[in-house]
Amino acid sequence: MTAYLDVDVRPILRAGGEPFSVIMAALEKLEPGQGIRLYATFKPIPLFAVMADKGFAHSAKPLEGGEWEVLFTPAETPKTEQGVSPSTDWASAPWPEPSVKLDNRDLEPPEPMVRILAAADQLAPGETLSALLRREPVFLFPQLERRGFRWLGGFLPDGVTYELTVRAPL
Amino acid sequence: MIGGSLFRWTMAYFAAALAWLLVALALMLGGVGYPAADIASPDTLVLVHAVTIGWLSLAMCGALFQFVPVLVAKPLFAEPWALPALGLLTSGLVCLLAGFLALGGRLPLALWLLPVGAVLLVTGFTLVVVDLGLTAWLRPTGPASFVLVGLASLCATAAFGSIFAFALAGWGGSAGEAVLASGVPLHAIAGLGGWLTLTAMGVSYRLLSMFMLSPDVNERQSRITLATGALAIAVTVAGGALAIGLASGMSAVLLLAGVLGLVSAALYGRDVAGIFRNRKRRQLELNMRIATLSFASLAGVAVLGVALIAVGELAAQVGAFTFLAVFGWLSGLVLAKLYKIVAFLTWLETYGPVMGRTPTPRVQDLVAEGRATKWFVIYYVAVWAGTLTLLAGEPGAFRLAVAAMTLGVAGIIREIVRIRRLADVAHPLRLPGGAIAPHLLFARN
Repeated sequence: MTAYLDVDVRPILRAGGEPFSVIMAALEKLEPGQGIRLYATFKPIPLFAVMADKGFAHSAKPLEGGEWEVLFTPAETPKTEQGVSPSTDWASAPWPEPSVKLDNRDLEPPEPMVRILAAADQLAPGETLSALLRREPVFLFPQLERRGFRWLGGFLPDGVTYELTVRAPL
Repeated sequence: MIGGSLFRWTMAYFAAALAWLLVALALMLGGVGYPAADIASPDTLVLVHAVTIGWLSLAMCGALFQFVPVLVAKPLFAEPWALPALGLLTSGLVCLLAGFLALGGRLPLALWLLPVGAVLLVTGFTLVVVDLGLTAWLRPTGPASFVLVGLASLCATAAFGSIFAFALAGWGGSAGEAVLASGVPLHAIAGLGGWLTLTAMGVSYRLLSMFMLSPDVNERQSRITLATGALAIAVTVAGGALAIGLASGMSAVLLLAGVLGLVSAALYGRDVAGIFRNRKRRQLELNMRIATLSFASLAGVAVLGVALIAVGELAAQVGAFTFLAVFGWLSGLVLAKLYKIVAFLTWLETYGPVMGRTPTPRVQDLVAEGRATKWFVIYYVAVWAGTLTLLAGEPGAFRLAVAAMTLGVAGIIREIVRIRRLADVAHPLRLPGGAIAPHLLFARN
């Protein structure tokens, strides 16, 4: 019997927020073999592919008022790949192709962060930029959130390159 | 929120730690404790605990509260505990030192101060250990696993220390007396070797590779370094406690722990050499150049230890050995890293909110390395000279060396305060529109 961690992102969605990072955070808290029971205000189809990449099968059932309950159950042999495919924004339409691409892998910290913030500030509403880094940019995230940017990120299959996609607020 | 926000009280912890370092240096200058007094005397206990709890432990806690959440990419388990913990540790240390002064006849005989101090310290350290431990436990790999072993060693150190405090007050019973009679080396090894050294090693892996653009040390490799170090501490604590229980000698246990400790230090040296060798950044910043002096001192500690055992002098020279470990390896590394950490956090706090919107200074614009180099060099030359004067049994020359150390530390503190005040940032960039000058003792967000 699979145990499920309840994750209710309906308040975040109703407030117009981006629940992806919350779901990814929940994912990291799971015990081996544990799944996620997700509550959302719509059927989160693009998320199914992201979760399948991470080794989770899904089953969705509609609730009242157009809301959905989705069970993500760990598959028998989860993939070991660590990365999050940062290409889909499952909460709305897919994100546009990045209008700026940065390779910040060989810059001395904190220069990668400075350049990403500078480039992000030039984006038109809804545009995205992508950046390659050597580390998870933990000090950058609070700055992005404070400015209303959305972001997706994860290590690529090589395990050492971190790809970050940042989207300007609409 | 995912990510590394600024921990509010890091600067307060650092300030308290530096104040205790100055207290300890003043005590040595004034001829309180070893080498003027016996190494087991109450005066020496005052000095040792001002350094290890006041200076090193508070500085380490302040750094860990900021960096453990960064290591595991999760928020701190309970940020509101940090300031009460600082209050408990400070008041507990004051009580403990007053108790030692009473023990030595410098204050009226009020030995109950020792257990009271121990209880306050244990309460404060419990807040720290639970807070950091539950945070690090979320992703117990790499540097975070060193921190977890360090915290476990801190618990063992505090347990021994509490038993000593109750025994010295006459409340320990016969078991307490037995632990007090032979457990002091266990307390010291768990504290200096386990808590302070293993934690410093773990944090240094990440800081060194981050600031030198070097790949992280291979997890399997660093795990062996940690396992050897953890085994050394476990052998010391468990084997030592067993030896006390059986009322047998402890030299076999300490020898085994020493060999394991030596292997762990050698493996750490190999790991650090790898980080330096694989770095993309050829030019080293001041804090890295100074850190190499700290690594050299750690190697010196290992060589000195082996040499003293070979000539049968370790027991007689344990003061010089400990002095080099505490001031050459640990204090030097912490001072060098404080210099960098304060600059980085101050830069992030001040310029993060306006970065990308207006020109901002670089982190290196906050520091004046040319001026700071001089103070660090004075400090290190003085520490090595101090070690030699202790080995040679020259207390007068030792106080001269301490005077030079104090000068170096005062200079470094002045540089750190100038960083925090943005005193070296050129004017048009210093406070661009929207940037707010940081407070000296806490972060605003």
